[in-house]
Amino acid sequence: MNSCGRWILTGVTLAVAIVTGGSIAWACGEGGCADMTRRQQGILTGMPFMAHVSSRSFVDDAGRKMYLAKTPVRIVSLAPSVTEMLFAIGAGEQLIGVTDFCDYPPEAKAKPKLGYAHPNLESLMALQPDLVLAPQEFLKPDVILKLEQLKVPVFILSATTVEDILGHIQTLGRMLDRSVQANAIAMTLRQDVAAIRLRMQNMSPVRVLYVLNSHPLITVGPGSFIDQLLRIAGATNVAAQSQLPYPRMSLEVVLQQDPEVLLFPIGKAEGISDSEQQAWRQWQTMTAVRRGRLHQIPADLLNRPGPRIGQALTMLVNILHPEIAAGPSSQP
Amino acid sequence: MMPGSPQLLTSESPSLASNRLAGGTAGHRDEWRRAGTILTHRRWLGMMGALAAASVAVCILCLQFGATRVDLATLLSVMTQLLTAGNAEAAGGDTAATIMLHIRLPRVLMGFVVGGSLAAVGVTLQALLRNPLADPYVLGVSSGAALGAALAMLLGIGASMMLLPVLPLCGFAGGLLALLLIYRLAQSQGRLPVHSLLLAGVILNAILTALIMFITSIMEPNRSAGLMAWLMGSLTAPGYPALGVLVAYAVFVLALVMHKANALNVLTLGEETARSLGIETERIKKQLFVLTALLTGAVVSVSGMIGFVGMVVPHAVRLVVGSDHRLLLPASALVGGMFLVISDTLARTILAPAEIPVGIVTALAGGPFFLYLLLWRKDRML
Repeated sequence: MNSCGRWILTGVTLAVAIVTGGSIAWACGEGGCADMTRRQQGILTGMPFMAHVSSRSFVDDAGRKMYLAKTPVRIVSLAPSVTEMLFAIGAGEQLIGVTDFCDYPPEAKAKPKLGYAHPNLESLMALQPDLVLAPQEFLKPDVILKLEQLKVPVFILSATTVEDILGHIQTLGRMLDRSVQANAIAMTLRQDVAAIRLRMQNMSPVRVLYVLNSHPLITVGPGSFIDQLLRIAGATNVAAQSQLPYPRMSLEVVLQQDPEVLLFPIGKAEGISDSEQQAWRQWQTMTAVRRGRLHQIPADLLNRPGPRIGQALTMLVNILHPEIAAGPSSQP
Repeated sequence: MMPGSPQLLTSESPSLASNRLAGGTAGHRDEWRRAGTILTHRRWLGMMGALAAASVAVCILCLQFGATRVDLATLLSVMTQLLTAGNAEAAGGDTAATIMLHIRLPRVLMGFVVGGSLAAVGVTLQALLRNPLADPYVLGVSSGAALGAALAMLLGIGASMMLLPVLPLCGFAGGLLALLLIYRLAQSQGRLPVHSLLLAGVILNAILTALIMFITSIMEPNRSAGLMAWLMGSLTAPGYPALGVLVAYAVFVLALVMHKANALNVLTLGEETARSLGIETERIKKQLFVLTALLTGAVVSVSGMIGFVGMVVPHAVRLVVGSDHRLLLPASALVGGMFLVISDTLARTILAPAEIPVGIVTALAGGPFFLYLLLWRKDRML
């Protein structure tokens, strides 16, 4: 009785399973799957496929393509360097939101602030931007995804070289119909950099340590933007062997490499304090200390891959090679 | 606290309680009181002598390794100069000598003092709280010190780690504030129940860590990078004066804790037992607690957060020398010193000329060992 019931149950279950499975397979063969294939065909043929890159479409540094039907007039900048570029090409008017650290030019301070590493999305949306310019490192993937879902165009700008900066200025010029100004600025910068490179060709490079942090010692290494500026300005970075962009550096190696100049970035709320700089004077064997060549340099001038790199390079050359008078730098 | 109250049972492991009550022979009892390891003067001297010799050997060995090639000959010449002239002037002008005398030697010594202090503090806290997971960081004192330092950096007043150490002072103040707060939190009717103390430490740690994270999030990226690097542990010695101050702290605190080693031994049997043997448990707990917090604050303010030394080293040493604190304390201090000196030597040399935070090395070396204890020797641990 009991076993009999179990057999019947099993039989019924099997039958139901076979019938269901078969009908699903049949339906898929008849209608369901056909529907899918039709949709797939739609994906292949129904999109406006752009074989050419029109003058209104742009590819950002994350490889994402963006098409701007009309010139953006409500722009949010999420990096101080980008803010500087926008003002430089005369698009400061269209800027409706900046980061807490956007302090140059002075007009930038009056713009609405959105935080920095974690920009406030609600404030951002409330501003109704039609273009958000963001650096790669400070915008998390989830934030970018969110903004994409909300149909806010996000354009990633990541600059690690001087060439990147020139490219960015020109791209922004094309985006905002400011090409004439942007190209002029890029041209001037390119000439300035080339002139400095040329002057440095016959100079023997100076060994430099750039002190980002004293305890523990953190400096700039290959792959960082500041390292490139130093090399253009006729310096040999003593951290060149470290193979990291921002290495914690061994003090032993610094003493052995014997820098001729110590550079301390200084700023309003950041930078190396006087007492910390004085503490470096204890290393009497260091050429930089013996010659008293401990120099300060405005941090934001070197940290920001923006239109003021010409000034930054000129200042670096003046510090590193005081024997030659640097030419007049062009103000962007 | 009434005998047999829930508080008693939660504040010490059930096995220990049942051991005491039923006179059982479970592993836990062996853990604290190893059979056949009665501490004699001879055994103490032999063990400590061996460890002291090993410590000197480890320090001399690690002095030979670094990011630059400064060989044994330089080391010897610097040492003889140092011993004959007795001051730093003798080794002026020579880069190799400067590296040895003013960078490497203070750093090795710093590692030894910091590691020894952390391990000794760990032993003391584990005995006080009768919790093998206790460690200087559990109480939140280190986070308090770190927060003080972070605030100093944010306000731009914490800069010099050399002559006038503003940063250590701020860190120290933060550590003490955290300690006072813990006292207020964990005190109930003039007593300091162990479990509420631990809980207060955990909660306080969470709050302080959040505050530190908040500070790093509103800082300039460059400054916050510096702060984070410091937090991850750094033994860049601020020079001999600061080292001397830290040594003075360590010696002072360790001497006082050693003085209480017998009381610690009794405390590990449970507070009821200790009280019945005439030990003023509350007073001793408070004293030792303040002492360990002081030393932790001093160490953290100089070297940042170096984890695992205070947790792992006491365990390893206890497995070897047993759990009589008269030997366990100084032995752990020496082993902790050696452990941190070796870890820091790795941190200095693996990626030379770049360095890695020593906290990473101690975590990678100590973490797996601790997990092993947790997974395969549960009976001995909890």
